[in-house]
Amino acid sequence: MSHTITIEQIVAKTTDLPTIPAAAIKVMKETQLASSSAASVAKIIVTDQALSARVLRLANSAFYGLSRRIVDLPEAVVVLGMKSVKNLALVAGTYPWMQRPVTGYCLGPEEMWRHAFGTAVASQIIARVSGKASEDVTFTAGLLHDLGKVALSVWIENKMGAILLYAGREDISFDEAERRVLGYDHCQVGYHLATNWNLPEELCEAALHHHTPSQATSHHSIVDCVHVGDYICSAMGFGLGGDGMLYRFDESSLDRLGISTNQVDSVTDEFVEKFEEYETLFTEMAA
Amino acid sequence: MPPANQLLVGMAEIKVAKGPATFTCLGLGSCIGLVIIDEQADVCGMVHVMLPESFKDKPVDKPGKFADTGIPELIAQMEKLGASKSRMIMAYAGGAQVFKYGSDSSSRLDVGARNGEAVTKILKAMGARILASDIGGSNGRTVTVNAEDGEMRVRTVHGGEKTLCSLKRARRLAA
Repeated sequence: MSHTITIEQIVAKTTDLPTIPAAAIKVMKETQLASSSAASVAKIIVTDQALSARVLRLANSAFYGLSRRIVDLPEAVVVLGMKSVKNLALVAGTYPWMQRPVTGYCLGPEEMWRHAFGTAVASQIIARVSGKASEDVTFTAGLLHDLGKVALSVWIENKMGAILLYAGREDISFDEAERRVLGYDHCQVGYHLATNWNLPEELCEAALHHHTPSQATSHHSIVDCVHVGDYICSAMGFGLGGDGMLYRFDESSLDRLGISTNQVDSVTDEFVEKFEEYETLFTEMAA
Repeated sequence: MPPANQLLVGMAEIKVAKGPATFTCLGLGSCIGLVIIDEQADVCGMVHVMLPESFKDKPVDKPGKFADTGIPELIAQMEKLGASKSRMIMAYAGGAQVFKYGSDSSSRLDVGARNGEAVTKILKAMGARILASDIGGSNGRTVTVNAEDGEMRVRTVHGGEKTLCSLKRARRLAA
């Protein structure tokens, strides 16, 4: 098949590409340093007024149930914990574009958000249960795994039917059909964006290999957690678009993580319980 | 005319009603929406099953979550409204699977296939009258049932909406 436009052209020509506020990326990098502290993280947050307001709002929310009001940003970081602040910064920074419809993939308003956030929550639980990956890094990797879909949406809009027909005729998965019809899939587009943003390597790797975890060249555990988390979130019906569940599940991810089927069922149960609680909290803070 | 009793059946929920009502399970992935109707008693109910089997080491918080607890609980709640097991007619939809699971019976994980198998097995063991089912495939489904005429509709993103069956007409035809 002929491919009319390259990934580079897509990124260059797509107006309204997703972005992440610079402060959110700086917070993410700062929290990964051994030298980071509540004060150093707070110093970055104060450069972004909207983010500062959200962090304070969260610290004073009923969720944390503190008896006194927190007005000091470094104290808010201590109360929430640096990892929560990092996740909040990313959630707040991605929500504005993730909650929009992604019409190319037949996702209505909020559906991409529900899928991204759901995958983040499910992947984080998998990371905890397996004990093989950092929970908060895995949360972030889950949140951003499908960002390629947002960029590819306008380009795929009139091709979705053809890709689905092609996948059915050739008996292949949706990402494979994307590669054959377009020349690349949403994973590769996401990887391209993530590397352009200079995101940490493990997040780029998860965006690239969340449907092909055995092909990951590094950070296997995080990629495996996101692969399983994406499956659980899709199975529970959160943000299923035109591509539905037309993806392969690589069971070797479970073997590498040392997770049994029974554990997947109990993670699924925990995921659904936590999703609503977290969703209300983060949506309120991010809006 | 006032709007009918519109019931949204969320994950792990069981809803029952006597008289006019519509029941909807929104965006089912691997979950299953099971509908039961007793036309004579004018009672209808729906359960949104998430997983095939309750955990042996954990108390069941919501019976509707699992096929093995949700189906008996739905029947019990309908009986309280005057329905009789012997008159019940059932249909179900959902259980979407990831690519290639359909032909790979050795798969350990596939929640969609295990949900479908569990619901079918439990209903058959009860000797239930299963009118129709629409399970498997890779698409998400939204399932709606109108208790008044018994019409069960299934909508997918690309397939549009189709009528899976009419639970009341089947009973009349069988009578």
